[in-house]
Amino acid sequence: MASATTKRSVGSVIWDYMTTVDHKKIAILYLIAGGFFFALGGIEAMLIRIQLAVPNSDFLSAGLFNEVITMHGTTMIFLAAMPLLFAFMNATVPLQIGARDVAFPFLNSLGVWLFIFGGIFLNLSWFMGGAPDAGWTSYASLSINSPGHGIDFYAVGLQIAGAGTLISGINFVTTIISMRAPGMTYMRMPLMTWTTLVASVLIVFAFPPLTVGIFLLTFDRMFGSSFFLVETGGNTIIWEHLFWIFGHPEVYILILPAFGIFSEIFATFARKRLFGYSAMVFATVLIGFFGFMVWAHHMFTVGLGPTANAIFAVATMAIAVPTGIKIFNWIFTIWGGSIEFTTPMLYALAFIPSFVMGGVTGIMQAAAPADYQYHDSYFIVAHFHYVIVGGVVFALLAGLHYYWPLMFSTMLSEKLGKITFVLFVAGFHVTFLIQHFLGLWGMPRRVFTYLDGQGYNTANLISTVGAIMMAVAVIILLINIIITVAKNEKVGRDPWGDGRTLEWSLPLPVPHYNFAQTPLIRGLDAYWIEKKENGGKMMPAESLEDFHMPNGSIIPFILSFGLFVAGFGALHFASGKDWAIDAVADLPNHPWALPVLIAGLAIVFISMGVRSWKDDLGHYVKKEEVLKDLEEQERGAK
Amino acid sequence: MAEIKQEAISQKKLEYIRRERTKEMRQQMVSFALMIFLTFVAFGLVAMDLDASFVIPIVIGMAFLQVILQFYYFMHMKDKGHEYIKLMMLTGMFFAIAFVTTFIYIVWIGAPIE
Ligand code: HEM
Ligand SMILES: [Cu+2]
Repeated sequence: MASATTKRSVGSVIWDYMTTVDHKKIAILYLIAGGFFFALGGIEAMLIRIQLAVPNSDFLSAGLFNEVITMHGTTMIFLAAMPLLFAFMNATVPLQIGARDVAFPFLNSLGVWLFIFGGIFLNLSWFMGGAPDAGWTSYASLSINSPGHGIDFYAVGLQIAGAGTLISGINFVTTIISMRAPGMTYMRMPLMTWTTLVASVLIVFAFPPLTVGIFLLTFDRMFGSSFFLVETGGNTIIWEHLFWIFGHPEVYILILPAFGIFSEIFATFARKRLFGYSAMVFATVLIGFFGFMVWAHHMFTVGLGPTANAIFAVATMAIAVPTGIKIFNWIFTIWGGSIEFTTPMLYALAFIPSFVMGGVTGIMQAAAPADYQYHDSYFIVAHFHYVIVGGVVFALLAGLHYYWPLMFSTMLSEKLGKITFVLFVAGFHVTFLIQHFLGLWGMPRRVFTYLDGQGYNTANLISTVGAIMMAVAVIILLINIIITVAKNEKVGRDPWGDGRTLEWSLPLPVPHYNFAQTPLIRGLDAYWIEKKENGGKMMPAESLEDFHMPNGSIIPFILSFGLFVAGFGALHFASGKDWAIDAVADLPNHPWALPVLIAGLAIVFISMGVRSWKDDLGHYVKKEEVLKDLEEQERGAK
Repeated sequence: MAEIKQEAISQKKLEYIRRERTKEMRQQMVSFALMIFLTFVAFGLVAMDLDASFVIPIVIGMAFLQVILQFYYFMHMKDKGHEYIKLMMLTGMFFAIAFVTTFIYIVWIGAPIE
């Protein structure tokens, strides 16, 4: 049981994490796995920048370059940014709404393991005949013709990881709707919770189109259908629509929780209530809704016709309005506040101008006729890195510093944190600002090299220097983490001193049941109110009683492993078959493919069966245990 | 492992629940019968080889009716406490209809307004 304080063996800790259903430990799993993939994607980014540093470079071959950019994009979006956001969502949301866990703890664990196995599957492509090479968007006209199994790894890996994301999305919607503590009305929910709710709703609506798209691709490549095969009556444009119906909401799935993290940080370190809270909530919902109506702005040059282009152009521009509302609200929040320049706050301050620049280029691209110039040039690369790095990654770094004490009850070094901040933000602008100009000068994206004498040389070299600065920043961050973990200096309740929302009212480390008694929420910034009026003690909404908690389970791990195994079967199924598409028809035939597919699915269904038929009613945390913990906290506080 | 704690319910409450469930069951049966009937009518219309422009709207109309019956009676959307589900369903349907419409318009017909 988690309350045992005796030293435990490494094996038992690993087993604990493999079977855990505790949202706080799942957050740590997301953080570690997401951090690992972030490093991997970062290494791929460095390879790209080294290749492009000088003209006519042959550091990477053309084919390898395609693989590296594809894996960089796919890894960063699906395996780094989303899981890292899920890490913070898991770490904070149940605590912010006063819940003891999420609504479906078992599914929470299933979500993280599906993501981890999907990510490993995708990356095994490097060692098993080559990575996918059709870009992170994997347009069917390219992906159907890509020889070897690269694209199959993309399809199956993302299908597995995507299932995990969908499950987690459903889980968070349910949690936020149904698990709030008494008094936590919708309009008292912290912005992190609100943005998580809206992002999760977006996941519920946006991932099914991706799932469908990938299924069609999977069947075309592995089981002989022809949804996208033009020769046999298919249509490759359908993939583009399906992908972007998912893809545009996806970028908002990424940015909304980032907005949430920043909203918390602004209010905390400006020591002011968030300005225009209800406008913020409204803007969040509106962005979420509009996000579904604009996907074709990625397809202006496909030839949809002027009417469709015009409609989508106007819809796209409309999104800037709620986004602008948010920007002004953040500025008004810090306006006149007594600002404390902590590392998270620095990232938040740097975020505003960086993200606005990305938004402005977005609006430029939204003008369909102008986009014919920008499309598929480095201008686009500059745009989305300004919004994703300047928005999402800044938020992840800010959140890492801000929520680190909540997750590990220690503090990252502020000094090293600020060095990381300066290097990263400077490196970011050096890398990507110049890419706007490269794009306008005509440099296409996704091409592995460029000729000398086109005026691209200096700009590309500058861009590479910036990338090296960001890499150094990340290395310093790693050193910071290692030092902090090694020192292990514990901090107590409300380590930043200015915590406003419920999660900071908890003792650190947070007990495995979160709240000894479910708290009563009396307003927005629940903890702040009690600090002002009640000496910083939350009022309980229930008497101290035994309460019910879920049991851990190894089934999510086994089930995910089953899908992982089945993936290999599916992957090799079409190799060398005469009905297969040209891309895999020449590969050696693998008679073991079908048995492996069936065995993997058998593991999945048996796991489901065991879960369904074997009752697991959880356990009760006894009043005596909670009382003992409370006493210990009292003593620790003195 | 622990047993879920349960509280005993009063006789009155039990009777009330029983009554509600009988009512619920009756509604379910009626809507089920209705849906079977609608399905037969749809099949029948097609089998009778009537004019397509007459059959298609009717079949689509009946399909719509079935969806409503499904959601409201089988999936409990008519019950209290289902406001969120209703909201999400309607939003989802709105998106789905928007997607299908644009697919038909852009991919299939292809820019009819020049
Ligand atoms: C003011 C809001 C925004 C507008 C108006 C906007 C508009 C656009 C447009 C029109 C494109 C397509 C350009 C082309 O390919 O020709 C685009 C691409 C892109 N945007 Fe944005 N955007 C906005 C915000 C964001 C945000 C917040 C994110 C992510 C967090 C984002 C991520 C991307 C990505 C990843 C692409 C490129 C996809 C690819 O082709 O690989 N955008 N944006
Ligand atoms: Cu977009």
